Amino acid sequence: MALSTHTTRSGFLLPSIHSAPPFFTQQPNPNTQKIVTETWSRLILSYARHRNLFFIRVEDAETQGSEWDEILRNDRIKRRLLPSHLSYILSEMVAKNQAVYEPPKQTRSVLLYWRLPEEWAEVLHQWVTSTGQLTTILTFYEITDPPVPSPLTGIPVVLLRKAIAVLAKTGRAQIIAVADGEGARFFAGTGR
Amino acid sequence: MALARFTKPVDGTIPVPALLYDDEDLVTSQDGVGIYDGSAKSPRHQIGILALTSLRLFFISVPAPADSFYLDLSHVVRTDYYAGLLRSSAKITLHLESSSEGGKDTGSGDLIDELDWSTWECEVCGNRNGPGWSPAKAAVCSLCGVPRSVSSAAATPSKPSPRLAPTQGRTTLNSASLPLLSEGASQVPVSDPESVGQVIACPACTYHNPPSLRTCEICGTSLPVAPSLKQVTRSLTASPAPSSAVGSEGASFIKLSFRKGGDKPFYTALKRTLQGKAWQTTRSIARVAVGTTSPAATGASGINQILNTFQNNAEQRSTSLSSALSDLEALASQAKQMVTLASELTEQIRLAEARSKAEGRASLSAGSEEAEAANFIQTSLAQLGLTMANAPVTQDMVKDERKWMEELARELGGLLQQGQEQNTEHWEDATSMASSPGKDNTKATGIMRGRGIVGLDEVWGGWNRARGVALIPPSTFLQVLPHLPSYTSPPLLTRTFTSGLSVLHTPRYTHVAFTSRLSSMITLSGPSTTLEVARDENVTVSLAGEMIAEVEKDGEICRDEVQVDGPFGGGRDIRWWINIFEDYVWDGQQDT
Repeated sequence: MALSTHTTRSGFLLPSIHSAPPFFTQQPNPNTQKIVTETWSRLILSYARHRNLFFIRVEDAETQGSEWDEILRNDRIKRRLLPSHLSYILSEMVAKNQAVYEPPKQTRSVLLYWRLPEEWAEVLHQWVTSTGQLTTILTFYEITDPPVPSPLTGIPVVLLRKAIAVLAKTGRAQIIAVADGEGARFFAGTGR
Repeated sequence: MALARFTKPVDGTIPVPALLYDDEDLVTSQDGVGIYDGSAKSPRHQIGILALTSLRLFFISVPAPADSFYLDLSHVVRTDYYAGLLRSSAKITLHLESSSEGGKDTGSGDLIDELDWSTWECEVCGNRNGPGWSPAKAAVCSLCGVPRSVSSAAATPSKPSPRLAPTQGRTTLNSASLPLLSEGASQVPVSDPESVGQVIACPACTYHNPPSLRTCEICGTSLPVAPSLKQVTRSLTASPAPSSAVGSEGASFIKLSFRKGGDKPFYTALKRTLQGKAWQTTRSIARVAVGTTSPAATGASGINQILNTFQNNAEQRSTSLSSALSDLEALASQAKQMVTLASELTEQIRLAEARSKAEGRASLSAGSEEAEAANFIQTSLAQLGLTMANAPVTQDMVKDERKWMEELARELGGLLQQGQEQNTEHWEDATSMASSPGKDNTKATGIMRGRGIVGLDEVWGGWNRARGVALIPPSTFLQVLPHLPSYTSPPLLTRTFTSGLSVLHTPRYTHVAFTSRLSSMITLSGPSTTLEVARDENVTVSLAGEMIAEVEKDGEICRDEVQVDGPFGGGRDIRWWINIFEDYVWDGQQDT
C-alpha cells in the first residue's frame, strides 16, 4: 500500500506515515512503539510550531473540534489517536524534555517545548535587541502581545518567565516589579 | 372331620385374652357364630363367640364352654366368603391344610411342639422362660434371644416332665373326670377352676407355686410333678375329639356361619391377619435361630453368637470384594484382547490392500469397492485410535531407560504420521508450496491428520487412546518428545508459545518459516486479520494467534487496532501490517 504525504488545510505537510492505520495504534512491541512515539513527538512539535501552539491536552484526543484535530485524527483512513495512546506519548515527551506538565503535578496537559527555554531566551533577546528596547522596562504583556507581531506573540507567561530566568542567569535580563504586574529589563550581552 | 384334625381344644371358661400367648394380639371377635365341619353343621358348635387373634382363631362355645377350640391360622390356605341369602346367613369358608412347615422340617416342628407349655431355663443368661409365648417364640430365650438348645432342653429337669405328664395326667384324670363329663357339660367348667386352683406346695419352703412351674419360684427346689391345667384340658378334650370324628373324611374346610351379622368386618380382619402371616415371621425367626446354633451346638450362644455373626459378615464382605476385583481383571484382559483384535484387523486389511495392489488395476471396479470398505474400517479404527500394528510398548519389554524412550518415540512417531509414509517424497515440494498447506496429506490418518501443527494435549490423549493399556503419564510423554524428530519424517519438533501452549509441528511451522510466510502473505494480499491468517495456514485461530504474537514480538509485523462498535458492545478488530515503522524516514513538514 503506497503511503503518501498530505497537506492539511492549515498548510501543514503531514508525513506519509500519518495515513498508515497502525500509526494510530499503540504497539505492544516496545521497539516498534519507540519508533511510533518518536514519530508522534516530532509530528506534535512540528505541528505546534506550525500553528504556534503551546499546549496540548489529553482531552484534545477525546473530543472533536480542537485545534489538534488535523494530526490527531485522520478521517481519510477513519483512524484517530486514542487518549490513552496520546497520554503515553506525552509522558514520553516530558521524559525527553520535549515538554513539561503545565500546570505541574498532573498528566493531562503539557506545555510543549518546540523551542527549549534556552532557545526562547535567545529569541527573546534577539527580538529585544532588534527592536531597540534594551535597558527599557517591558511588561510581560508588552512582550506577549506586541503591537507588531513577533516570534514571541502568544507565548505563555510561564514559558516567558523561564526564558527571562535563563537570561537573568547570564546577567542579560532582570525581573522588575511594576505597577500593573511584572516587567523585565534587558541588557546587552555583557554577561558573556 | 376337618374340625377334629386341625383344631385344638381350649378351656372356654377362661376369657380369650387370657388364653393368648405373650406375642399374640386379639384382632376382633364376634358372637352368634355357628360352625360347619365341612358342609355339615357341627352340632356342638352352633352358638359361640369367634375371636380372631394374630395367630389363631378361637371359638368359645357359649352353652358348653368345654367344646371351645382354637385353630392355628397357619393351616388356613384359602378363604371364601358367602354373603348370605334370605334366611341363609353369611358364611366364611376356611380351606385348611396341615401346615407345610411341619411337613418340611418335622424336627423343628416337633421341637416347638415339645417346647409348648413348659418352662425352661436359658443356659446363657439363666433366665427362666415361662410358657406364655407362642411355640415359635418359645424356642428362643425372651431375655437374651439365644435359642433354646436341644441338649440343654434335654438336660433340664423340666424336660422329662411334659413327656411323662400327659400319660400320667391322662390316666389319672380320665378316670376322675370322665364321670363328670358324662354327668353334663355344665359340670366341666366347675371342675376346671378347681384344677386351676391346684397349687403345688414346695417341699422345701412350702411356697405355693403355680402349677405350670417345675421348680419352686422362691428357693428353686424341684417341685413334685403335679397335673397342670394344660394337661387337664388336653386330656379332657382328647376323649370328645374322637367322637366328633364321624364327619366326612375328605372335607378339609370349615364354615363359619354368622347368625348375628358382623360377617363383613370379621372377614376383612381375617383377610388382613392371614396376609400378615404373623406366625410365619415368628416361626422363621425361631427356625433361623435354631439353625445357626446347630453347627456349634455347645458353644454358639451369647457373645460367641455375636462374634460368629460378625465373622460371617466379614467373610461375606471379603468374598464380594474379591469377586468385584476379579471382574476388573477380566475387564483389563478384555481390553488387551480388544487391542489385539484391532491389530489383527489392521493386519488383514493390509494384506487385502497388498493383494489388491498385486492384482493391479485389472479388477478395478471390484477392487475399489473392497478398498473403500477397507479404507472405511481403517478410518473408523483411526478415529478410535486403534490402528496400531503391534501391541503397545511397555516398560517391562524394554529394560534400558534410553531404549525405552526411543521405542516410545518410534511408536509415537508411527502413530502421528500414519498413512503419511507414502507421501514423504512429496514433502519437499509441499514445503515449497506455501499456499497449499496440508493438501498433499489428505490420505494421512495419524493423529496429525495431515495438519502441520497439533497441540500436545491432543497428541497425548490420542496416543494413550491408541495404546489402550499401559498408559503413558505426561511426564514420560514430555521425556519422549526430544527423541521424536529422529523417528519422524519430516521431523516433528516441539515448540512452546509464550502463553505456555505447547505444540508438535513440522518444519513448515517453525518460527522462521512462518514469519517469512506471514510477511509475504501480508505483502501480497494486504493487511490481514488473525482469522484470515488461520484460514490460510489451515490452523486453528488460537494457534494462529499464538504464532502471530511470536512474530510481533520480533517486530516483524505491527498491528492496526480499531474499536468496532457493534450491536453487542463491539470489539477490537486487529489487522496485521508489515512493520512500517522499522525504516521509516520523516517525510512530513520540515522545520525551518
